[in-house]
Amino acid sequence: MNLSFFDQFMSPSLLGIPLILISLLFPTLLFPSPDNRWITNRISTLQLWFFQLITKQLMTPLNKKGHKWALILLSLMVLLLTINLLGLLPYTFTPTTQLSMNLALAFPLWLATLLTGLRNQPSIALGHLLPEGTPTPLIPALILIETTSLLIRPLALGVRLTANLTAGHLLIQLISTASTVLLPIMPAVSLLTTIILLLLTILEVAVAMIQAYVFVLLLSLYLQENI
Amino acid sequence: VVCSVLHATRQLHTTQQSLAPLPPLPEKGGEVRHGLIPEEFFQFLYPKTGVTGPYMLGTGLVLYLLSKEIYVVNHETVASACILGVIIYGIKRFGPDVAAFADKLNEEKVAKALAVKNEAIESLQTAIEEEKKEQWRVEGRSYLFDAKRNNVAMLLEANYRERLMMVYNEVKKRLDYQVAMQTLKKQKEQDYMIQWVEKNVIQSITPQQQKESIAKCILDLKALSKGAHAAV
Repeated sequence: MNLSFFDQFMSPSLLGIPLILISLLFPTLLFPSPDNRWITNRISTLQLWFFQLITKQLMTPLNKKGHKWALILLSLMVLLLTINLLGLLPYTFTPTTQLSMNLALAFPLWLATLLTGLRNQPSIALGHLLPEGTPTPLIPALILIETTSLLIRPLALGVRLTANLTAGHLLIQLISTASTVLLPIMPAVSLLTTIILLLLTILEVAVAMIQAYVFVLLLSLYLQENI
Repeated sequence: VVCSVLHATRQLHTTQQSLAPLPPLPEKGGEVRHGLIPEEFFQFLYPKTGVTGPYMLGTGLVLYLLSKEIYVVNHETVASACILGVIIYGIKRFGPDVAAFADKLNEEKVAKALAVKNEAIESLQTAIEEEKKEQWRVEGRSYLFDAKRNNVAMLLEANYRERLMMVYNEVKKRLDYQVAMQTLKKQKEQDYMIQWVEKNVIQSITPQQQKESIAKCILDLKALSKGAHAAV
C-alpha cells in the first residue's frame, strides 16, 4: 500500500477490468428508494425533504418548459454531491477528478441547452450575445467576446469541477504527507500541520458540496436563458 | 453493477409486487455500540470471551495489520484520521437535531391528516347540535303563530279605530258647518231688525218733538241743580 501522489487519481481497474462504472454507480446504493409507506423512516423522510428543497431551488427561476429538466438536474446534483463527499474518505477514488468524466457530463448538457435555445427561440438565444446598452463602436468586439464566452462554457464547467476537486485532494495528500514526515523530526510543527489539515478537511467538505451545486446551478442558468 | 441497475429500474415499477399491507416500521433502529458495530456481535462473543472479547479482537486485528505491514501507515492515515474526526464531530453535534427534525416532519404529516379527520368530526357534531336546536324550535312553533296572530289582530283593530275616528271627525265638521250657517243667519236677521227699528225711530222724531224734549231737559236740569245746591 505504498501510495504515490498519483494513485488517488488513477482510474481503478482490477485485473485489467475498469471499475469506473461501479465506482460511478455506487452512490445510487446509498439512497433508499421511496417505498409505498406513508410515514417513512428518518432517512427516507430527510431524503425526500432534501430533494424537494433542491428541486424547488432549481426550478423556481425556470418557466414551465424548463421543469422537464427537473429530474436530470436533480439527479446530477445528488450524484455530484455524493461522489464529491465520498471522495474525501481515505483510499477512495473520486470519479469527478477525471477531466474526461466531467467534460462528458458538462458538454452534452450545455449543448442541449444551447440547441434548445437556438431551435425554439433563435433570435433571443443569439440576442444574449450582446448585452443591453453597449455603445455602438464596441458591438463587433463584444459579440466576439460573448461568443467566445459562450463556447468556452462546457470547458469551464468541466475544468472547474475537476480542478477544484483535484486541487483539494492533492492538497490534503501533500499536507498529510508533510505531517507524517515531520512527526519524528519536529513533532510541534507536525501538530501544526495536522491542525491545518483539519481545517482543510472542513474546507474540502464545503467545497465538495458547493462545487456540485455550482455545476448544476450554472447549467440551470444556461437553461433559463435558452428555454 | 447489477445492484445499481436493479435499484435504478425501481422507478419503472408502477404497482406493488404484493397486495399485502406493509409491516409497520420498528420503533427504534437496531442497537449499535460505538455507532458502527451492532450489539448482537458483542452478545454473540459474550458467552465465550466475556465482556472484553470483542475489544481484544479489534485491538489484535489492528496490531496484526500494523505489525505485518499489511496496512502501512502513510499520508492517507493522517488524512483519514482528520476526515473521520470531522465526520464523528458532525454526527455527534448535529445528529440529535437532524433526527428531531426528521421526526418533526413526520409528525407534521400525521398531524395534518389528523387535523382533517378532527375537523370533519367537529363539523358533524356542530351539525348535530344545530339539528337538535331546530327540532326544539319546531315545538315552539304554535306559540310563534299565536303571537303573530295576535299581532295581526291588534294591527287590524288599530287600523279600524283610526278610520272610525276619521269618519266621526268628518261628519262633525260637516254638522258644525251647518250649525254655524244657521247661527250666522239668525245673527244677521237680528242685527238687521235692530237697525231697521232704530232707523225708523230716528226718522219718526219730528223737529217739534226735539224742541220740546230739549226744553223739558233744561227744566229738569234746573230743578236738579236747585235740589243739589240745597243738599250741599
